[in-house]
Amino acid sequence: MSNFAATPADAGTDVQFPTSNVDVPLPWLAQVWKQSISQRAARFGLAWISVVAFCAIFAPLLANSFPIAIKMNGRWSSPFLHQLTATDVTLPILTLLCGILCFVRRIGFLSKIYTMLIATVIVGSLAFIFIRPPNTPRETYRLLERAGRLQSVVRTPIPYTFDDRLYDQFSADHPHPWAPSHDHWMGTEKFGADITSQMIYACRIAMAIGFISTGISVLIGIVFGGLMGYFVGIVDLLGMRVIEIVGAIPTIYLLLIFVAAFPDYRSIYLIMAIIGLTSWTGDARFVRAEFLKLRNQEFVHAAIAAGLPLRSVLFKHLLPNALAPLLVSASFGIAGAILSESTLSFLGLGIPVGDASWGALLNEAVSAGGGFIWWLATYPGLAIFLTVLSYNFIGEAVRDALDPKLRERS
Amino acid sequence: MPDPLLQISDLNVAFETARGLIRPVRDVSLSIYPGQTVAVVGESGCGKSVTAMSILRLLPSPPSKVLSGSIMFAGRDLVTVPENQMQKIRGKEIAMIFQEPMTSLNPVYSIGDQIAEAVVLHQHVGSREGLRIAEQSLRDVGIADAHRRLREYPHEMSGGMRQRIMIAMALSCKPKLLIADEPTTALDVTIQAQILELLRKVQQQTGMSIMLITHDLGVVAENADVVAVMYASRIVETATVEELFDRPQHPYTQGLFRSIPKFGVTSKRLETIPGTVPNPTKFPPGCKFHTRCDRLNGDPLCSTVEPLLREVSPGHWASCHHAEHFAESPVTVPQLQHKREDYIPLATEVQA
Amino acid sequence: MLNYIIRRLLLMIPTIIGITLLVFLVMAMSPGGLTAGIRGQEGNMRPDQRKKIEEYYKKRYGLDQPLYRQYLRWLNHVLPFGAKEAGEGFPRKWPVGLKSPDLGESLMRHRPVIDVVAEALPVTILLNLITVPVIYAISITAGIYAARRRGNSFDVAWGTTSLALWSIPTMWAGVMFLGLFANRDVINIFPASGLHDTLAEQMRFLPSWPGGVFARGWLLDFAWHLTLPIICLTYGGFAFMSKLMRASVLENLSADFARTARAKGLTDRAVLFRHVLSNSVLPLITVAAGILPGLLGGSLIVESIFSINGMGRLMIDAIFQKDRELVMSEAFVIGIVSLVSLLVADLCYAAADPRVTYE
Repeated sequence: MSNFAATPADAGTDVQFPTSNVDVPLPWLAQVWKQSISQRAARFGLAWISVVAFCAIFAPLLANSFPIAIKMNGRWSSPFLHQLTATDVTLPILTLLCGILCFVRRIGFLSKIYTMLIATVIVGSLAFIFIRPPNTPRETYRLLERAGRLQSVVRTPIPYTFDDRLYDQFSADHPHPWAPSHDHWMGTEKFGADITSQMIYACRIAMAIGFISTGISVLIGIVFGGLMGYFVGIVDLLGMRVIEIVGAIPTIYLLLIFVAAFPDYRSIYLIMAIIGLTSWTGDARFVRAEFLKLRNQEFVHAAIAAGLPLRSVLFKHLLPNALAPLLVSASFGIAGAILSESTLSFLGLGIPVGDASWGALLNEAVSAGGGFIWWLATYPGLAIFLTVLSYNFIGEAVRDALDPKLRERS
Repeated sequence: MPDPLLQISDLNVAFETARGLIRPVRDVSLSIYPGQTVAVVGESGCGKSVTAMSILRLLPSPPSKVLSGSIMFAGRDLVTVPENQMQKIRGKEIAMIFQEPMTSLNPVYSIGDQIAEAVVLHQHVGSREGLRIAEQSLRDVGIADAHRRLREYPHEMSGGMRQRIMIAMALSCKPKLLIADEPTTALDVTIQAQILELLRKVQQQTGMSIMLITHDLGVVAENADVVAVMYASRIVETATVEELFDRPQHPYTQGLFRSIPKFGVTSKRLETIPGTVPNPTKFPPGCKFHTRCDRLNGDPLCSTVEPLLREVSPGHWASCHHAEHFAESPVTVPQLQHKREDYIPLATEVQA
Repeated sequence: MLNYIIRRLLLMIPTIIGITLLVFLVMAMSPGGLTAGIRGQEGNMRPDQRKKIEEYYKKRYGLDQPLYRQYLRWLNHVLPFGAKEAGEGFPRKWPVGLKSPDLGESLMRHRPVIDVVAEALPVTILLNLITVPVIYAISITAGIYAARRRGNSFDVAWGTTSLALWSIPTMWAGVMFLGLFANRDVINIFPASGLHDTLAEQMRFLPSWPGGVFARGWLLDFAWHLTLPIICLTYGGFAFMSKLMRASVLENLSADFARTARAKGLTDRAVLFRHVLSNSVLPLITVAAGILPGLLGGSLIVESIFSINGMGRLMIDAIFQKDRELVMSEAFVIGIVSLVSLLVADLCYAAADPRVTYE
């Protein structure tokens, strides 16, 4: 496109997005989304995130120490099914539901989201109450196979669960970590777990951390910023001080302080909450600024003059307009949350030891003795990098789609 | 008559864009004599600014490109002269002032620095002497307290003040030609009059030529000696200002005159020219004005053959197939016979 | 201007108090409360002994008092004025006046926190003082170069590379550098840890050749140790900033004032370096406020990877050792450092842009 502003032909044909559109913002959002996805980088990002999501949802089908099917004593059975955890069951069910909802036309977008939320709660709690897999040693079926007790076995592509520490293959003269080999494509870590499997299961943490902590931070940001922009005055003043206080400390220090407060009670949910609680200031600032800007615009005055309460104007009509920019910030936010989790895990302060996380794997790459374990540095690092890059790509693409002037320039 | 100071011959400028070749300037020829003010009039997008910018080669290239033609200035062709010589012409022999005084000055340097920059560059003086000359030229454009102003920044000044500073900057090296690209468009009416008054005064003192680009016929009437009317990238009519105002030949020019209020005439609604300026990516075939023209509607000649400039009377050129026909017609012309003074804008009264 | 600075410094006080209050509350909220840290340390002791020691520590650090008193006590410590000698049973004694601020005593190191911080803070500040100019130098150069040759191979390659660089996690870069360039088994050209050689104290300042043998000297040794950490700290910043710079240069190249400058007869170079550049760095100074906290955070990771004893490493140690006093003081000091650097960024902006005045 020409960058020459004086060309008269340019004036009429530039795509102009409405910056403040009181009516139905969803077609506009859809348009922005379509435009973003048309970029190659964004498509790459989406593709990689799909891969990660696939791994997260179908992890037990991809890497499992328990065979999908065995024939023992002449009878077929599936140890795999018995060993599924609550998460293993919940995720595919919800994915299926999500897929079905996407094709249902009659329900509105918001109702779909509510349905998903309710379904998540119900399926999740049911699964966590009723599904309790027996704590069978991971090597059981390998030992059985070696002993010749199984007539036939159907295994998953990677025959190791992430916490399978290969106790049956322990040998003192060949200690872990093992370098990548035919059996272990990405090698093993220091306790003997298969890294390919750990990488696959770690996708769950990456996805969950990304979405849940960003969800928390965006929610806090909207509520906090919205209240400040709505009430102004003293609320705004106090709110800005709070934002300043939280914003003045570098995020990682803030994270560490929160983590330090819970030295012995770390869990993945706590980490999510902490990351969410420490990264909302940007969104709050944005929503506040948007509200303050829009409050003074004529169409808002007009709406208020027409009898609409300010509250309804701001939250029902203006907030949806701020959603698209929030999408950009959320996309970068997810990237940031994944980075934060990896950093915490890398520092040994993240998820509990034993859970699979890319950051924790990376942490083991440089052992205390100074040895460098390249496969522990390369694969998890690459995974974090690609995931962060993907979300950044998507964020950039959405931002460019929102700001045509910016797109012209680049 | 002496040789022209600037002679543009058959200039063609194009922009290469993703949507194809745009030709904002087509076959433009124009002469400016020493001491003369030539006004180029037209609607926005007609190519008048591009013509002016191509004289100083200020158009970004790419996408712009001079396809053909020459711009002769003091024996050199500005289209082909090497860049380093062009830099010696810019600011020193031909200066330019722009439409947007608010953004045309660099916000981070003081006024003095910005004026002295050109002085130091072209007159090979030290920075102290440069500042002194800058101060003098600020006084020349009627800025009180020039010494203090030198140290001020553009954001501390009003639009009219900034345009004065632009003029001071342009005049600081005593150029032979000043190109004023809509110098008053962005200003208040009273300030407009002051700025034009200033330009006239400076021209009388220095004898420089001015190429005045505007869409305001009132400005033309007051300031110009010769007028060129541009429409759809071409000059459609050119004549001395008296001739043009008394006997406009091209239907577009006539339309322009009908669409401005006349002093002392409190008649019905103002007339407008129907339709819009054609998009340069898809000009209509034939005469570019025929879709909006009220003469001889439906003449197949107009919609197929583009008319060339023809001399309808000595020194008066127009590009209309039916120019002479209407020039002699008593029906169209008499109502347009007004004195120049009728077009003087109200502002001068305010000022007086 | 001086008024403005004083006002900003005064405004910092409530923010700092807010920061410490926030940190204090977070610590107090933790399961087991503030005493948890102490409880952990005495491993194998008889229950009655342990109880006694706990009592002692509780009394000594005022942990048996209500929360607000504990906080006030801590605040009294760090302020340069207030109740003197308040350590014993604050607030019973009341000789109020000026005193030397005290960050308390590290629960684990049994040293005054202020000494520990005094060792670590200069290291972190030094790292960042080197990082910021490097980031700006690279991003301004690359941004100008890319904008001038817009659309050519350098521009495209740099655009893609910077997006990629921006997404590389600092810890991955650090681990890879350490593993590839400071490794006996791969390429061993950089030191793996620290800021100085163990023998650095005995080196001359500048490189020398005593007896024909090259001795790198203190300065070169320092630079050599700094190379990898500085690369890790800078790449993300300049990747982000050079994109910004490029956009800004492109915008200003087509700005009206650039056209005015060209019309004056300036060469393209002069237009670029005198007029466009001065305007294009303005957004870079604005975002400095945004990247400075990030830099401080980045140096935490880098310090941890390259075993540099700065504030970041101190923080991580403090958390592992559950040293509450150290964590609090650490947050306090980092808060001050961030706020001061934000103020400096704002002042730089005012100096660079005459339109901005702080009156």
